[in-house]
Amino acid sequence: MGPAKLIASTRRKPKKRVRLARSRARPVTVTAQLEPGAPSDLDLMRGIQAGDPDALSQLYDRYNGILKALILRVIHNEAEADDLLQEIFMEIWNQAKNFSAQKGKPLGWMVTLARRRAIDGLRKKQAYARAEERLQNETEQQPDAWVHNATEEEIMLSDTRSLIRKVLKSLPPAQQQAIDLAFFKGMSQREIAAKTNTPLGTVKTRLELGLKKIYDGLKELRDEL
Amino acid sequence: MNFNEFENQARLYVIGALEADELEEFENARKKFGKKGEDFITKCYALHEAFALSLRPAKASSAIKERLMAMVKAKKEA
Repeated sequence: MGPAKLIASTRRKPKKRVRLARSRARPVTVTAQLEPGAPSDLDLMRGIQAGDPDALSQLYDRYNGILKALILRVIHNEAEADDLLQEIFMEIWNQAKNFSAQKGKPLGWMVTLARRRAIDGLRKKQAYARAEERLQNETEQQPDAWVHNATEEEIMLSDTRSLIRKVLKSLPPAQQQAIDLAFFKGMSQREIAAKTNTPLGTVKTRLELGLKKIYDGLKELRDEL
Repeated sequence: MNFNEFENQARLYVIGALEADELEEFENARKKFGKKGEDFITKCYALHEAFALSLRPAKASSAIKERLMAMVKAKKEA
């Protein structure tokens, strides 16, 4: 996968401030738009906190596609992503008591949890691959030595997605890449600097500028940010 | 660290991109700015939602939900 898959295209766009659709008929939010009368994410989280499996079932139907996409973006393996998705929803069930609406929205909490688990999984895989590579090297050097990886939930996300992508695509490719490596690969600034052969200070600047632009862009998507 | 610098660091913090030395400085600033700082960090977590929502949803295997709900049911009955 290319380094800047956070954004579908890495082609440079003309440098202009992205004006988001304030004039659209429907109000724009960063979170999913639900069918009228459907329980809110917060209602479902409260249901899970109260031990209601049906609330988890509905939350799963609503967000399994988004969370799986996030996991896949990190670990690039369909079967492992499915297993991890199941573990993450089990963790949502087990850890729901730790969710606080004052500290953010349910989707943000779930994404944070899913990302952490996916990056942990990626690091374990990388550690395993490095160990395997070392073993391979040792074996090659010592040939006689012993040898022995929703449905679409009726959520109307396409508008939200395209608006967020518009914000992301407005970034210069180098900023996209730095953010992609930090968010989806869990890399530190030093690791990004080493991987991209870029001075550490430049990486820091790219991350700061890129994240600020996204944050400011999102502010136009929802007033409460 | 002024609040503007804190904002920049907070955005890096929520995606886990602060280096160890920066993290210590950030935590000190976090104490200094108190509720105002915490409120800003909370807002920064919206970046997580945005990155996730920028991806096209992927279809999970249908067996996953069945297994999940069976595990939940078993745990509830235990």
